[in-house]
Amino acid sequence: MAANFWTSSHYKQLMDQEDVDVVQPLDRDKGITLEDFKFIKMQMASYISKLAQHVKVRQRVVATAVTYMRRFFVRKSMTEYDPHLVAPTCLYLASKAEESTVQARLLVFYIKKIYSDEKYRYEVKDILEMEMKILEALNYYLVVFHPYRSLVQFLQDAGMNDINMTHLSWGLVNDTYKMDLILVHPPHLIALACIYIASVYRDKDTTAWFEELRVDMNVVKNISMEILDFYENQRMVTEERINAAFSKLALKP
Amino acid sequence: MGDGNTTTNRGGSGTSNNSEKPEWLQQYNLIGKIGEGTYGLVFLARIKSPTNRGKSIAIKKFKQSKDGDGVSPTAIREIMLLREITHENVVKLVNVHINHADMSLYLAFDYAEYDLYEIIRHHRDKVNHTINSYTVKSLLWQLLNGLNYLHSNWIIHRDLKPSNILVMGDGEEQGVVKIADFGLARIYQAPLKFLSENGVVVTIWYRAPELLLGAKHYTSAVDMWAVGCIFAELLTLKPLFQGAEAKSTQNPFQLDQLDKIFKILGHPTLEKWPTLASLPHWQSDSQHIQGHKYETNGLHSVVHLSPKSPAYDLLSKMLEYDPRKRITAAQALEHEYFRIEPLPGRNALVPSQPGEKVVNYPTRPVDSNTDFEGTTALQPPQPASGNPGPGNMGISNRNVPRPMPGVGMQRMQPQGMMAYNFPPQAGAAGGMNPSNIPMQRGMAAQAHQQQQLRRKDPGMGMPGYPPQQKSRRL
Repeated sequence: MAANFWTSSHYKQLMDQEDVDVVQPLDRDKGITLEDFKFIKMQMASYISKLAQHVKVRQRVVATAVTYMRRFFVRKSMTEYDPHLVAPTCLYLASKAEESTVQARLLVFYIKKIYSDEKYRYEVKDILEMEMKILEALNYYLVVFHPYRSLVQFLQDAGMNDINMTHLSWGLVNDTYKMDLILVHPPHLIALACIYIASVYRDKDTTAWFEELRVDMNVVKNISMEILDFYENQRMVTEERINAAFSKLALKP
Repeated sequence: MGDGNTTTNRGGSGTSNNSEKPEWLQQYNLIGKIGEGTYGLVFLARIKSPTNRGKSIAIKKFKQSKDGDGVSPTAIREIMLLREITHENVVKLVNVHINHADMSLYLAFDYAEYDLYEIIRHHRDKVNHTINSYTVKSLLWQLLNGLNYLHSNWIIHRDLKPSNILVMGDGEEQGVVKIADFGLARIYQAPLKFLSENGVVVTIWYRAPELLLGAKHYTSAVDMWAVGCIFAELLTLKPLFQGAEAKSTQNPFQLDQLDKIFKILGHPTLEKWPTLASLPHWQSDSQHIQGHKYETNGLHSVVHLSPKSPAYDLLSKMLEYDPRKRITAAQALEHEYFRIEPLPGRNALVPSQPGEKVVNYPTRPVDSNTDFEGTTALQPPQPASGNPGPGNMGISNRNVPRPMPGVGMQRMQPQGMMAYNFPPQAGAAGGMNPSNIPMQRGMAAQAHQQQQLRRKDPGMGMPGYPPQQKSRRL
C-alpha cells in the first residue's frame, strides 16, 4: 500500500545493519574496506545533493535518490557499476518517481560543470541505460518513506515546532542520509532520534513527551547514538582518506 | 535483501543480444496484439511453465520515449503504485521485464477478457437488452470495493472510465472486476495538481464538475463522480454526459461538457455548493455558464429509475455537485442499494435467476500477426479498402479518447466490424444454453474454449482479416 508504511514495500525491505555492511566480492578484491564503502556512498550522497541544487528539486527527491543509491549498492558492486553514474541516475529516476521530472540532458550539463575530470563525465545515453539497470536492481520498488513528514508532525505534537528546533532537527534528518539509516530503520524512528538529539542539544526536557509515545525508546536512543558516532567520526575524515577510497575503486584488476 | 517477494524479474540483464528472443520472453507463448496506445502496445500471451501452463497474461510494452528521456513517467507511476498494492479488485501486476537491447519495458498483468466498455457496447449493439440488475450491482459493488481500497491508501485513480474497468473471463476469478490503468494514478499525500499541467489529456465525459470549473487540485471525490457516470451508463448503456470536447488550448474550458451535466442535473447553486463561487471558471465565464438556467433535475427519467428507488438514491449521491458532500466509496458500499435483492456477488457475469440467459460477451480480438517488437511478422493479409494504416491504429489511446461523439465509434471501422463480430457469433453456437439451464463453471469454460480455439486462428474462414482491425488499450 502506498500510504501506509507498515504495509509498504519499504517496510518489508528494511534490513539488518550487517546485511547493509557487506562489501561486494568484486569490490573487496580491489581492497575496498567497509569504511571505504561507507565513504564512497557518503560522497555520492553529497554528489546527489549538489546536483539537486543545480537542477532545483526538493529535499524529498534527494532523499529518495540517496535511498535508491544505497539500496542499489547493497546488491551491486561499485566495480561493475560506477557510483559516479549510479548517483546522478538515481536522482534522475527519483525525480520521475517524485513527480518532478528532470531532463537527462540538464543533469548531464551539470555533471560536466561539477566534474572537470573526464572519467566522471557521462552522456545522456549512459544515464538512460543505467536507469533501467537501477529499476531492475531495485526490483521495481520505488515508493520510499522519509522522516520529514513525521518529523513535522512530531514537533508540532510536542509543541517544539519553533524555528530553532525545526531547523536543527531538519538538518539532522538531512544528515542521516550520509548514513544507511534509511535502509535499516522505519523513518518515523529516525525522525524521533533526530528530535531526541536536538532536544538534548537545546536542553529541552522531552522525557514526558517521549514516554507518551508508544515507541521503543531503546531503538530511538540507539539510532541517536549512531548519528552522534557518525558526527564524531566525521571530524577525523580528511579529503585524502576519501580520495584513497576512490583510488582503490579506480584500480584496474 | 529483505525482500520476500516472489515476482522478481527473471532474465533481462543477460539479454543484450538483439537478435535472440530475450530469455524472459521465452517463458511465454505470444498469442498476439490486443491493444495499442500512446505508451506502446499490449499483447496477449500464455505462460509455458508447467505450474501455470496456459494461463493468460496481458503484456504492456512501453516504448522508449522519443524525447530521449528514458522510461516514461507514466510507466514509472504505474509500476511504482502497482508494486505497492494488492487487492482483488485491482489489476495484478505479475511481472516487470526490461529489454536492455532496445530499452523497452514490459509490464505483465493477469489477463482480463472483458471490460465495461465492451460489455456495455455488446448490450447496446448486439443484445438490445439492458444488463441484468444483479450484474450491474455486482460490477458496481466490486468497482467501489477496489476504489475504497485505493482511496484508503491515498491513491486517486483520476482516469476511471468503462474501458479501464476490466472483468475477468473464465477461470477461478470469473466475473471479478479489476480496476486497471494506473498511468495517471497518484498518491495524494501532497496536493495533486491538475493533470493538464503535465500535458496529459483525459476523457472529459467522466470528469467531475469541480475540475471542469477549474479546480486546481484533485480529491478522491473526482473518482466517485466517474463511478456515478459509469453506474448510469451500466443502467442505460449510454454515456450519461456526452459532451463535445473543446481542444483549442492546452487546458480549454469544457463548456459543452458542463452544459450536458447541467441539462440533466439542473444548475448548481451556491446554496447547495458553497465553494462554487471560488472556482475560476464559475466566475470568469459566468455569462456562459450561468446563461441558460436548467432548474430541474431530470436524472431519474434519464436513467429510468424511480426517484424513490435505492439505486437512484445512490446514483444521485455519487453525482452530488459539491465534492465535499459527494458520497465516498466507503459510504457507498454501505448503501441500502447493496443490501436489497439481488445481492451483489463475486462473479458478476453469472445470471442472477435460474433460467435467466447467460450473455456471451465477445472476447478480445487478437491480432496474431504482430510480434513483441510491434512489427508485423507475417505478410499481413491485404485489408479491405480504407486501410487506416499503422499510424491510425492507436485510436483508443489517451490523447484521442472517446470524448467526442463518434470518436468511440471509430474503433469499429466497417471492414473491421465484420471480423470483430465473427468470433462471438461463431462461439455462440458452443456457448448457447438452449434449455436455459444455469450454466456450471465447467460448461462455461468448455464453451469458452471453443471460442478461444477460433480466436487463435483469426484468419479462419475470414480471408482478408485485417491484421489490426481494432485497437484497444488495456
